[in-house]
Amino acid sequence: MTIDLEKQLRDALRPAAPPEGFAERIAARIEAVRLRRRRPSPLFLWAPAALAASLVLGLAALHQWELRREQQQGLQARRELIEALRVTGEKLDLAYRGVSDASRPANPDDAGT
Amino acid sequence: MTDGAACAVTDLLSEARSGDRAAFAGLVRRHQRAVYSLALRMLWDQHKAEDLAQDVFMQLYRKLAHMQSDAHVASWLRKVTTHLAIDRLRQEPRYELVPLEADPGVPAEPAGGDPLLQRRLRALLAQLPPPARAVLLLRYQEDLDPVEIASTLDMPVNTVKSHLKRSLSSLREQLGEGFESAAAPEGGPIT
Repeated sequence: MTIDLEKQLRDALRPAAPPEGFAERIAARIEAVRLRRRRPSPLFLWAPAALAASLVLGLAALHQWELRREQQQGLQARRELIEALRVTGEKLDLAYRGVSDASRPANPDDAGT
Repeated sequence: MTDGAACAVTDLLSEARSGDRAAFAGLVRRHQRAVYSLALRMLWDQHKAEDLAQDVFMQLYRKLAHMQSDAHVASWLRKVTTHLAIDRLRQEPRYELVPLEADPGVPAEPAGGDPLLQRRLRALLAQLPPPARAVLLLRYQEDLDPVEIASTLDMPVNTVKSHLKRSLSSLREQLGEGFESAAAPEGGPIT
């Protein structure tokens, strides 16, 4: 008697049942994936803090730059004032010398006579 | 399948695509036997088979938008299951001994015939190289013809036919006398 191998293979390979609760375990995995997607990622939690920190740092840098600019303007004004005082001093000195020269007698020998 | 049943299956797919979890669970229940049986008879281990089958359905969940019909879902599931199983078997030790007495692949509904012979056939199948095993499973479990098997496994039709021919002769040889030989599988000659 011959046995039909292909028929035997078909009988041997009829579908096997998955373990109890198979579909429910897949549903639970899908639910876990959904929950993970819904929860904000750590990036989103840190983003506002990072934004606030960069804003504070930016404002501090701007303030520092403003102070430095004011300081430099003050120094420039001081330099200009000193230069103006020096020029004024020179002019006054020149004027004083002019006045002194004009009030001096032309011939010193005539002064006592 | 009757028109009404086909319509219900199409509805199940479109509802699952629109995010209905109960409809997706229905799709899982519809295809779970085929996917799990393929995984089980490829991997010969219930836990590994369940892991693989779950991974396949998780991939299906992510790809639902691309599924056009229930037939498309079924062929996609077969393709992903066999490819994943072959990949996992390649990562495992090459010559793992298959205990003949342990048979995790018992069908849900026992068929007629000799249960001992069927058990031996499943064990011999588990000893075939993974691609040949996949070819035999797709032919005799999923009832695909060589062209469909070639498209599922991305291999030439002639390779499928030669796998079928060689695997059947090897099984006949190991089972001994009494098995008819030179019978070409249904769906055309295999050489």
